[in-house]
Amino acid sequence: MKKLPGKFGTIAALLLVAGVVLIALGFFADKQRAFFNYIIMYSFIVSIAVGSLGIVALEFMTDAQWSTPFRRISEFLSFGIPFLLLLAIPIVFGIHDLYHWSHKEAVEADPILQGKAPYLDEGFFIIRLFAMIVLWLIFYILIIRNSEKQDETKDYKLLTRNVKISIGFAPVLMISLTITAIDLIMSLEPHWFSTIFGVYYFAGSAVAALSAMVFLSVSLKENGYLASELTDKQFHSMSTLLFGMNVFWAYIAFSQFLLIWYADIPEETFWLEHRMHGSWGVVSLALLFIHFVIPFLILLPGRMKENRLTLKTMAIWLLFAHFLDLYWLVMPNLNKESAFFSWNEIGSLLFIAGFFMLVFKFKADRTNLTPIGDPKIEQAIGLHLHPDISID
Amino acid sequence: MSVHKEMTLVTERTSFQELDNVVFKPTESKPTSKWYISMGISLFALSLGVVSLGYTFYYGIGMWGNNNPVGWGFDIINFVFWIGIGHAGTLISAILYLFRQKWRTGIARFAEAMTIFAVMTAGIFPLIHVGRPWLAGYLFPYPNQHNVWVNFNSPLLWDVFAVSTYFLVSFLFWGLGLIPDIANMRERTTSGIKKFFYTILSFGWRNSNRHWQHYEKAYLILAGLSTPLVLSVHTIVSFDFAVSVLPGWHTTIFPPYFVAGAVFSGFGMVATVLIILRKVFDLEHIITKGHLDKMAKILLATGTMVGYAYGMEFFMAWYSGNTFEQFVFINRAFGPYAWSYWIMVACNVGFPQLFWFKKVRNSIPIMMAIVILVNVGMWFERFVIIVTSLHRDFLPASWGMYAPTMYDIGIFIGSFGMFFTFVLLFVRVMPSISLTELKAVLPGSQPSHRHHE
Repeated sequence: MKKLPGKFGTIAALLLVAGVVLIALGFFADKQRAFFNYIIMYSFIVSIAVGSLGIVALEFMTDAQWSTPFRRISEFLSFGIPFLLLLAIPIVFGIHDLYHWSHKEAVEADPILQGKAPYLDEGFFIIRLFAMIVLWLIFYILIIRNSEKQDETKDYKLLTRNVKISIGFAPVLMISLTITAIDLIMSLEPHWFSTIFGVYYFAGSAVAALSAMVFLSVSLKENGYLASELTDKQFHSMSTLLFGMNVFWAYIAFSQFLLIWYADIPEETFWLEHRMHGSWGVVSLALLFIHFVIPFLILLPGRMKENRLTLKTMAIWLLFAHFLDLYWLVMPNLNKESAFFSWNEIGSLLFIAGFFMLVFKFKADRTNLTPIGDPKIEQAIGLHLHPDISID
Repeated sequence: MSVHKEMTLVTERTSFQELDNVVFKPTESKPTSKWYISMGISLFALSLGVVSLGYTFYYGIGMWGNNNPVGWGFDIINFVFWIGIGHAGTLISAILYLFRQKWRTGIARFAEAMTIFAVMTAGIFPLIHVGRPWLAGYLFPYPNQHNVWVNFNSPLLWDVFAVSTYFLVSFLFWGLGLIPDIANMRERTTSGIKKFFYTILSFGWRNSNRHWQHYEKAYLILAGLSTPLVLSVHTIVSFDFAVSVLPGWHTTIFPPYFVAGAVFSGFGMVATVLIILRKVFDLEHIITKGHLDKMAKILLATGTMVGYAYGMEFFMAWYSGNTFEQFVFINRAFGPYAWSYWIMVACNVGFPQLFWFKKVRNSIPIMMAIVILVNVGMWFERFVIIVTSLHRDFLPASWGMYAPTMYDIGIFIGSFGMFFTFVLLFVRVMPSISLTELKAVLPGSQPSHRHHE
């Protein structure tokens, strides 16, 4: 099995260091803004790491074959989960800069915040923050250990065991991502509420995690790291899934927007109000086109779903779109008047790239890039789509 | 190392001839006494509905239980209930087709037919709900001499478009899939009149290569068109409620929550009828326990999603700090209609959790009991949403209670009569299983593609 070049690790380390330096400078320049950026970065890393574990679980749950040759890619990305324990620590120190509800005097003057106090409580918040990571970590260890063990033992039972664990993971994933979304992002504006918010973050995370998988699958295949029998046709399924998830995201985003806009209840509309005017209005429109309209039109034709260049471009594009989405969710809470973007925001982008490259490299040096012990793998590599599906 | 195996789609007796015979049998032989009894019951139920409707038309909708705070009663509950049931067919035939789930072949045709009948049944209710159904033509926006236009801002109008589009596309999809099978029946039948109708309905199908190429392409396109429709119809039905400002109706999770609920109730009804059908028509080797197992899993997944939505609604009502929201949910769970709320929670979230166990999924009687409870639970979900939110809103002085009259119940029973009458007629004149698709998934019918390009 071919190893990733050392250069890959060097670039990753450089990106990570540059990211850390910029983030650190950001904290000196404007502490509050840096914490808001940190929330974006942390939510993004959760999206990729936990979302990737979700993709792995999805394969086991649905007994899918087409994704088996690419499963390790998502497995490697989900290795980001253990590091969340470290990455969450700065948030604990930023609670007062980030969350209005953490100021006692503000809560005392506000009966609505008093009502929420049992949930929006500093101690409980920190417990939830780490409890979610521990939950993910447990399922990460259970699923990945079985999967990696199978490379050597080729034991069929490990597959059935993982199917069971993955089914158990599904509700846990949904609830934990909902709590994460409510705590980290929605409570930045403690008066605002939306029942669909957890689903919204879940959909965005699925798009981001699938994009990462598509980008890496295509790149690794091009450079000869994956089985040579795999053809471009095999990218069809994963890009269809990406396309579908992105439409799902748009559906959820539209549902949330339309219902709040139409009912026009002041308690809810104020959240959209400042996102619809001035420079935030431009960002909102950009989000509509960048996250949905353009990828939709490009990825719709069937042959585009097998075109390597298109896929790589759109995967990076959608990763950026998810970043923009989080930026759009988080930053208007810091400055309602106008959008802003400067070197302060770049640091987290560099960090995310460097972080996941290093995580991937670390795992790729130690584990097979193809799950060779999986009983589905032989059929999966030679998989041909039913002819009536693959036409476009 | 054991080899990974997919589910066997047809067990035992797998010759093409045998499949033809067993599937076409109900259409080629005289109906059994069981069929006559079922048809009698259905027609009796239908006539109850017709009589109740007749009274309603004659005296007006004052015959119903609808009153001042609760202006939407059985009419809208039944509409949403039947539209929801109409969601499984298209999900099975379109989305599972795009997901390449071959197990759908055995049940797709029947589920599609149920979709069409359910949407037809559902369509009755908005018509009678408007009170003067003879004016319903104005629901369609067309330039008319009265210069009367519809309100394009109203989700009730979007419903008209969504439901009629859905019906049209589902009908085309179903009709297209039937063509090769009807051509097959045209060749088999000996009766002149049957031959005449099947000849017309088969559109000159001759099984030529070119026919098949067009067919496959059209099928794929219609599957692609139907997929967003599965989401859109119940999304728009949810908008009927969610665009309002009423606590309990206005909440952002409604669209995906309604869609999940619709798929859930649709599968509940399809499973109910399929369990009976496979027994009565001796189709147990085609609609296998494996099929029912997969349907149980989908029921479990969608039921749990619905449970997630119940939980989110409750949590956000508390979290919002809005006293009206909080009251509505406490009133739902502990107010005068608490019984309906707990029936809903138990049937939709509680009992389907039994499907975690393989033993339960493989036991036909238990499964039958649970899927019937699912139907009950989903009807009560709409009851809870509509009645409990309306009967006590912002102003305690205008609170009230709602109870259906015998005419409401008669129309409700009549809707079941109409649905099952169509179902029973369908199994007599059309093949309830897509034979052409089924034959394509039989072992040995596909050339092996296990070679390298």
